[in-house]
Amino acid sequence: MSLPDFQLLRPRTVAEATELLAKHAANAQIVAGGTDLIPSLRQRLFAPRFLIDLRAIVDLRGIRARDGGLDIGALTTLTTIERSPEIAQKYPVLHQAAKTVASPLLRNMGTIGGNICLDTRCLWYNQSLQWRQSCGFCIKKDGDLCHVAPGGSKCWAAFSGDTPPALLCLEAEIEIAGPQGTRRVPLSEFYTNVGDARMKLQNNELLTRVLLPVRTAGWSGVYRKLRIRGSIDYPLAGIAVVLKRSNRHVADARVAITAVNPAPLLVKGVARALAGREVNEEIALQVGELAARTAKPLTTSALTPEYRREMIRVFTKRAVLEAAAIDQSLPRAQPRGPSTVD
Amino acid sequence: MKKELITLKINGRTLELASEPNKLLLDVLRQDLGLTGSKRGCDDSSCGACTVQLDGVPVLSCTLLAASCQEREIATVEGIAEHGSLAAIQKAYGDWGGAQCGYCTPGFMMTVDHLLTENPNPSEDDIRHALSGNLCRCTGYMQMFQAIKAAIEAERKGRASEAQTAGAR
Repeated sequence: MSLPDFQLLRPRTVAEATELLAKHAANAQIVAGGTDLIPSLRQRLFAPRFLIDLRAIVDLRGIRARDGGLDIGALTTLTTIERSPEIAQKYPVLHQAAKTVASPLLRNMGTIGGNICLDTRCLWYNQSLQWRQSCGFCIKKDGDLCHVAPGGSKCWAAFSGDTPPALLCLEAEIEIAGPQGTRRVPLSEFYTNVGDARMKLQNNELLTRVLLPVRTAGWSGVYRKLRIRGSIDYPLAGIAVVLKRSNRHVADARVAITAVNPAPLLVKGVARALAGREVNEEIALQVGELAARTAKPLTTSALTPEYRREMIRVFTKRAVLEAAAIDQSLPRAQPRGPSTVD
Repeated sequence: MKKELITLKINGRTLELASEPNKLLLDVLRQDLGLTGSKRGCDDSSCGACTVQLDGVPVLSCTLLAASCQEREIATVEGIAEHGSLAAIQKAYGDWGGAQCGYCTPGFMMTVDHLLTENPNPSEDDIRHALSGNLCRCTGYMQMFQAIKAAIEAERKGRASEAQTAGAR
């Protein structure tokens, strides 16, 4: 099946890109790795007049040290992130999350910026035009009702990126370029938790960088993901855990979940539940309960909401125990293989 | 839709062609250039049958716009044979039954070629990890696994005997 007609624009700098966006905002769509947008174009979920291809903006690729933390260009591929020794060492939870995204081929294409801005997903939305026409359109695209929560007017399509929960735990900030210059926002203020208006990014704005603070560098972390196959698939539930310890006790902690709400969400009360304590099975389970209570999965994907919520509880418990067992005094294993791409 | 002139570097040759801006790399390869080795499988970026290399890195040509690939080096399965004869990995796939119906094979070739170029001596885990983005509906993964290990072994022996010959001189 072919793609709808559009004009392809290929800016070489961020300034050129924001200029093009300012000019064509309402009729344009941004493409970076293309792994999310191209299949959606094929399904006629978007029909932009202009496609702004960011791939030629060299400035937005790569990982640099900055203020003791890291500055990651939005066009950095997920493979580059997975293979970065700095990320594996300082921010292991991001390394783990990046490593589980889709498949190696898709990670060679997909970018961190694209993973953050990933469109929300639903069984009733990510389908061909013919499928959607036959089964009835939905609120998110072309229709006025929700098949998942009948009678409701909110879109519940699930945010299904793997790296954002890790980035939320690490207190990442993002840089956004627009007609008035650039602004920085904490990632935790970027998402809306509304499926059909998922993020606070104006149509004339562009995500340019991800900034990881020095504060969370070195915290141990674990990412766990539920999916049908061990590769290629989007998460149907995902959880990220980070812990900072002093001696055997937890000094600080964060848990974030993905694929079970229209946004990736930080679980409230985790630091309070864990701070000053030594992690054991019982405490880990309490944190699991907190995470499960934050999860509001609906019938947006192939597995039942009950199962997905239960797996959030189980994975959280296991991930907390695992993160607590990592010896922070030892240097962490380096990722395999030389770093390439970009 | 109006065609535009694009320049693509494919298997070491630079080609100029007129193409629609919404045309996928896979379609340009197959329809405009007659390079039908790369296959359309799932058409939704899952199966890897359309895998080509972009600047040496394997990617899905069904999910890439041809016009976005200008100024990059594109390699397809047609380009991996060495001086007209089969590459070691192609031969090993034949010897070990790594290709059954053959539809997924070109995609696997591009993935495996990248794996072995990057790391001539991958561990079993590395091989499994690298193959996890390509699907084979005949489920002949074990044969492929054996073929890859055989190709690595052949390459190692080749290098050893080359070194011996060089030493004898």
